[in-house]
Amino acid sequence: MASNATQMLSPEVMRMAQARERSSAWQQTRVAWIFIAPAVIMVTIFLLTPVVFNVILSFTKWRKFTGLDQFAGFANYQRLFVVPYFSEALGNTALWVVGAIIFPLALGLGLALLLRNIPFQETFKSLYFLPKVLAPTAVGAIWYYVYAPHGVINSAVSGLTGSEFDFGWIFVPETVTLSIIFTFVWQTVGITMVLLLLGLAAIPRDPLEAARVDGASQWQIFRHIIWPLLMPTVLVVTILNVAAGFTTFDLLWVMASSYPGKRTLSLAVYMYYESFSNGAWAYGSAVAVVLGGMVITVSAALAVVQSRVEKSIR
Amino acid sequence: MAVDITDQNFINALIEKERRAQKSGGRWLVVPIIALTVAYLTPFYYLFVTIFKTTEEYATSGVLDLPNSLAPIVDNVVQAWTLANLGEAAINSLTYAGIGAALAVAFAAAAAYGMTRLKLIGANGWFMLIFTGTLFPFQMYLVPLLFGYQRLGLVNSWLGMLLIYVAICIPFPLLVLRNSFSGITHEVDEAARIEGASEWRVFISMIIPNATGPLIALFLLQFTFIWNDLLFSSILANGIEVRSIMVALQSLQGTYSTTGPNVVITATLISSIPTVLMFIVLRRYFMAGLQLGSK
Repeated sequence: MASNATQMLSPEVMRMAQARERSSAWQQTRVAWIFIAPAVIMVTIFLLTPVVFNVILSFTKWRKFTGLDQFAGFANYQRLFVVPYFSEALGNTALWVVGAIIFPLALGLGLALLLRNIPFQETFKSLYFLPKVLAPTAVGAIWYYVYAPHGVINSAVSGLTGSEFDFGWIFVPETVTLSIIFTFVWQTVGITMVLLLLGLAAIPRDPLEAARVDGASQWQIFRHIIWPLLMPTVLVVTILNVAAGFTTFDLLWVMASSYPGKRTLSLAVYMYYESFSNGAWAYGSAVAVVLGGMVITVSAALAVVQSRVEKSIR
Repeated sequence: MAVDITDQNFINALIEKERRAQKSGGRWLVVPIIALTVAYLTPFYYLFVTIFKTTEEYATSGVLDLPNSLAPIVDNVVQAWTLANLGEAAINSLTYAGIGAALAVAFAAAAAYGMTRLKLIGANGWFMLIFTGTLFPFQMYLVPLLFGYQRLGLVNSWLGMLLIYVAICIPFPLLVLRNSFSGITHEVDEAARIEGASEWRVFISMIIPNATGPLIALFLLQFTFIWNDLLFSSILANGIEVRSIMVALQSLQGTYSTTGPNVVITATLISSIPTVLMFIVLRRYFMAGLQLGSK
């Protein structure tokens, strides 16, 4: 009898219990909506809607003082391939991305390995970190005069060689991009080094000592033990610097203020120049879409590599 | 001559020898390291000699020469202050950065609470929606924002600047706080709920006090981001009453500017004071924040 009753009751009881749980889940969800609402509303209105609108805009003929109603199909994108400024800007962006990956990493790693075993390590670390505390706009303004005719670098070279040296670092096309990348590296090498030092500190001592006892050379130890174990940190640094390489704007805009061809210095600058100095809003949007596509593709690829590396280490 | 590899003394001696070799090697490295560091810091040296020079002195003496006297700094500060209206710009940026970062971190904390401590149906979907906000380069926001701001009359307004800064500073703190909130044990808020505390009360008095470290670090990071921003402020608010400190600084420098380098350099230093101070006073949190940024 009793067991019969439970059998007969149980589906209904179960259903009631489930229903109660569901209604309490909905009740809690409703409370949770209040908590997430401000963030969701702000992000949707000010970040996500503009992105969607930006893509739509890139298919119109819109300029600063004309209407929005005329659709242009792919005309803006076709124009990208015709205008020489775009391909120049694209090439310089590629240079920026490669430079932003290689230089801070190589120099930061070199510094991290050098500073690891010396006295006053903390002081040196803080000194190399110092430029990061300044705003990129301020750094750009300072380095504008560092590179200027009769500026710091030219004066230093003149002083060291004893003959008058005056080179227009950020005024001639041959050196302008590399000079600004150098400033970028000057500002970011400190933080790259700090992150790498954290990664180095996390490497267990035992395999290093074992390799040393077995007579491995410094290079072998670095190549086969330190580098693979440091890989996750290296990837984090790379992801941060790649994003900066694609989108750095303030440093370029300030340092190239006297360079006539500044629109070609990177896609971020080209987009800004076309949209806000030229008023070609739709065309600027198309450049932004291309830039966004590249950033997202490269970031996704790096994220895949990152998850593989993390799996292989575990 | 077989070596007994289990002989602890032998191994210790070997390690000791290796350590000593490393240390003495390290001592020799100090010379090139100091040379490198001096070269690295030359722009700072240039900064500190230049703020004490008059425009005339700057033009006639070598750029790395020591200044004749310390007095010209007063005039440089006054000039930077009046020519670029730095005072007003600094107050603007201070309010954008202070209020903007505080609101953004507060909104992110509330959202993180809703996603991790409450039963939220579709919590992952909501998180992905906000997280999408970190994927796109800022260049994709600019033209539509300017268009929308013109329609709404927000161009060159204090409120318009604040709104975009709050929005852009929400996704990253949410990412971090979602992790740190889910690390707090659930017993804390369950107990409070049984006592009859409202969700708001649990959030304010149970969760927030358990995450002050990340909250402060995130506030500092977002404050610095807003203070340093040139991109958004140069497009959405370049009017003299609402412009940010970085737009003011940039207006001093450049082709059409007749301001002497000594004044511009002084302005760069003034515009960096808040972030430098913050860095010195709250170095510990800042370093923690940077580690957050790398994860």
